Amino acid sequence: MTESENDPVRADLERFVGQPMGPPVEAPDPVNVPMIRHWVDALDDRNPAYLDEESAAKGRYGGLVAPPAMLQAWTMPRPKIEGIAERGGAPGEMNPDGPIPTLDRAGFAGTLATNSELEFFRYLKPGDHLRTTSELESISVRKRTGLGEGYFITWITRYFDQSNELVGQQLFRILKFDPSTIDLSKFGGAQ
Amino acid sequence: MSFMQVSVGDALPTFELPVTSTVIVAGAIASRDFMPAHHDAEYARGQGAPDMFMNILTTNGYVSRYVTDWSGPETMVRAIRIRLGGPAVPGQILRFTGAVASLSEEGDEQVIEVAVRAANDLGDHATGHVVISLPRV
Repeated sequence: MTESENDPVRADLERFVGQPMGPPVEAPDPVNVPMIRHWVDALDDRNPAYLDEESAAKGRYGGLVAPPAMLQAWTMPRPKIEGIAERGGAPGEMNPDGPIPTLDRAGFAGTLATNSELEFFRYLKPGDHLRTTSELESISVRKRTGLGEGYFITWITRYFDQSNELVGQQLFRILKFDPSTIDLSKFGGAQ
Repeated sequence: MSFMQVSVGDALPTFELPVTSTVIVAGAIASRDFMPAHHDAEYARGQGAPDMFMNILTTNGYVSRYVTDWSGPETMVRAIRIRLGGPAVPGQILRFTGAVASLSEEGDEQVIEVAVRAANDLGDHATGHVVISLPRV
C-alpha cells in the first residue's frame, strides 16, 4: 500500500469526517411479528425465541424477540422502485454533496463492502420503535490495494429505541475504488 | 446451575447452505433490500459480478443462525463482526464452519466467542467472529 499526503481528493473529503452520513432515520414500522415471520421463513431460522410464544415466554427474554441480525432491516428506507437500477440500487435519491457521490464524481465510482461489525446491547421485542444516526468515522488516505486505488470509508450507525436507549450499532466499511483497476467478478458486496 | 460445557477449539457442526436464486431473493426482500444486484442476475452481471449475489444482511442472518442453531434459544448474540470476501451466488454451496475461540464469564453469563467462516467455490465469503452469551442452566 502507498499513502499520498498531497492528495486533493482526500483533502476534499476531510470535511465529512465526524459528520453525519445523512439525516436521522426513523424506522417505517415498529418491530413486528409479520416481518419477523417473513425473515424466519426466508432464512429458515427455526430458533423458537423468534416465533414460538409459549417457549419464548419461559425463556430468558420472557417473550418473543426479533432475530438480532434483523437490526438493520427495521430501518431500511422505503424504496422507490422506479429508477432503482439507474440509481445504482440506492433506495432513494442520494444527497449529491455526501462523501460517496463526491468520490463517484472523482472517478472512484466502484463500491466494495469490506467489513460489517454489528453489536447488540439488548434484544428487540415487538413494539420497539427504532431510529438511527450515522456518523462517518474515518476515511483512509488513498491506498493502493490488491484491488486498485481507492479509499476505505468507515461509518457507524447507532440504533436507538423509543426511550432513546442505545440498543445496537453497526460499523460498516467500504472501499471506494477506481473500477478500471479491479476484477469485480472475484468480489462480493459490490453495490 | 452450570454453564454450557465447551472448550476453546471445539468445532461447531458444519452447515451447508445450497445457495439458489430463491435463497438470495428471499433474504434480500425479508431484509427490505431492493438493490437489483440481489434479485436481477442480468443487472448483477452488468456490474461485473458473476451472477446475482447474497446481500450482507442475509449473510449476517445466516451467520447468526449458524451459531444459535448450535447454542440454542437462550443465546444472546452480542456481536457479529465479519470481513466480507467473495460473493455468495446461485448454484454453489455456502459452507459454514466455526470453532470456539475464547471463553469468559460475566456474572451469571457465559461469554463465548466463536470464529466463523462461510466459504464457497470462490473462496471465503465471510470470515469473522460472533460473540454470544448464555445464562447458567
